[in-house]
Amino acid sequence: MDKILAKKSLTQWLKKLDGYDIYAPFPQDDTWNYDLVTDPAKVSLDYLNTAQAPKKIIFPQREVFLEFARTEDGAPQMTETLPDPAPFIVLGVRPCDAKALTQHDMVFAGEYTDPYYWARRDKSVLVGLGCATPPSPNCFCPTVDGSPHSKQGLDILLTDMGANYYVEALTKKGEKLLGAAKTLFKPPTPKDKQTKEKVVKDAAKKIQRQIKNLAEVPPKLKGMFESELWDQEAMSCLRCGICTYLCPTCHCFDISDEVKNAGAVQGERVRTWDTCQFPDFTMHSSGHNPRSDKASRLRQRIFHKFQYFVENHKTYQCTGCGRCISLCPVGIDIIEVLNKVIDHA
Amino acid sequence: MNGTQKATKSDNPFLPEPARIVRTYPLTEDVNFFQIRIADMEKALGFSYQTGQFAMMTVLGAGEAPFSISSTPSRPGLLEFCIRKAGTVTNALFNLKENDLVGLRGPYGTGFPVDKMQGKDIIIVMGGLGAAPLRSVLLYCLDNRDQFGRVILLHGAKRPAEMLFLEEQLELKGRDDLECHLTVDSDDTGQWTEGTGVVTTLFPKLEGIDPENTFGLVCGPPIMYKFVLQEFLKLDIPKDQILMTLERRMKCGVGKCGHCAIDYIYTCLDGPVFSYWDVIHMRELI
Repeated sequence: MDKILAKKSLTQWLKKLDGYDIYAPFPQDDTWNYDLVTDPAKVSLDYLNTAQAPKKIIFPQREVFLEFARTEDGAPQMTETLPDPAPFIVLGVRPCDAKALTQHDMVFAGEYTDPYYWARRDKSVLVGLGCATPPSPNCFCPTVDGSPHSKQGLDILLTDMGANYYVEALTKKGEKLLGAAKTLFKPPTPKDKQTKEKVVKDAAKKIQRQIKNLAEVPPKLKGMFESELWDQEAMSCLRCGICTYLCPTCHCFDISDEVKNAGAVQGERVRTWDTCQFPDFTMHSSGHNPRSDKASRLRQRIFHKFQYFVENHKTYQCTGCGRCISLCPVGIDIIEVLNKVIDHA
Repeated sequence: MNGTQKATKSDNPFLPEPARIVRTYPLTEDVNFFQIRIADMEKALGFSYQTGQFAMMTVLGAGEAPFSISSTPSRPGLLEFCIRKAGTVTNALFNLKENDLVGLRGPYGTGFPVDKMQGKDIIIVMGGLGAAPLRSVLLYCLDNRDQFGRVILLHGAKRPAEMLFLEEQLELKGRDDLECHLTVDSDDTGQWTEGTGVVTTLFPKLEGIDPENTFGLVCGPPIMYKFVLQEFLKLDIPKDQILMTLERRMKCGVGKCGHCAIDYIYTCLDGPVFSYWDVIHMRELI
């Protein structure tokens, strides 16, 4: 279902969406970040991209798995704390970040489904915003099988046409949101369609960076496990983990107990994001560490995204958002690394 | 391996089942033996597992960690664990007493293929804490003695005081249907009557091995695998009949958290029991 929404009507539309919590990007210090909308009039989609991907709304950086309490002489009690959110809308999701959530879906499904993840995911409606101009000079979505207006994982895609949004409802959930404010949405004219096509086409041309030929990477990596490239590339790594914490596709986590009251043992079991770039990620309690050096950890990050995940899920575990490149404090550049892999003898 | 289809939602896989410590006593200076029973009797009897599998054990307030199951499924009801005091969870566990409550979820991972091992000779090589998972399959073989050919145990430890299940195994030595060879790296007691030297020095004692008809099982400290695997290969045991169980740091046990990922597999789902073929095809395994 295709429609046209005047940008000035965005607030009115949001006001009609009763029964939904709405998350939208807001400026915080010098970045944009997702937050709960309290006043729809304050929502503006005039931003590049959020510092953190919206994955944090569905897969929060810290979440409580269960609460526990042990009285001095009684048995320990564990209480499951499954989230039960109201249906919610994530507004202005960039296509790379939406595609990343489809990869989380793969990880958190399977033989064991993750009830915490799906409790939120099933309630989510993703309203995407295509990238008329690249949000970052390090964007490279087309070379990882994406595009600035990819619809993958989205319920609605908005395309910025200046004064209007071209609105495509892609799922039943998406159509329902348009149905809530029927009068605001006009049918597109043939000229609107042409304009949209042009925006989409031009956007793809504006992407500045690319991986030479990514299809060569997975087979090439197989023979490069022992390469010196990993030592060279990891030399400057500070083990800060920001590449993985900001990555919209990374999903690794830790589970630990946080104690509030040690005397009677009372607290919470929490899941927190973790990263393969930290030395203790693989360290056994004996002290033995199968990935004890940073070269093997950088290699793990590259192999997981561009070989192992491809093997298991038939897609690259990277959507080309460029965050890891822009924010690495020492300039480790995943595009450069992959181009070196392609050029490797 | 993870499918891309969302399965129907089952019970929460992260919620531990309350369980009680039935009995605990030291095996060595820093390793304790734990007998644990799931509090709900029906669930305790319904907890079916294979030799080589592991479970996640919770000590509330300290956290959760993976432990190999040391008991055999041929003796249902009680679960046994052999645990070294090494980290946060185990330190807290060692402070618990009999009848105290812990949490348990599992069993997880692959087990030893006891069906395929039927009728075959079995060589079990354990070193140090490697006794924990291999005791399960050893007892399973002995409980179903008529289903297997020769059963051979090679067990190495640093010192006599560090040998796990020493009394149990000295007792087993009396059986004429088990070939049991024990060794220590060095004897500091002066009273050790078994072998001296690393565990591979026991291999020359093996006579008349029929390799095609033999399974070789190994578990021990990381350094041990390479050397024991060489011995198995020297005996010409087929690569798919050389099996090992591996340790990895784990948090979820269900293929999500990423800690135990090796190559494109997860140790918690696709291991911890691997064959020599896996070692050839997956770097970082040992």
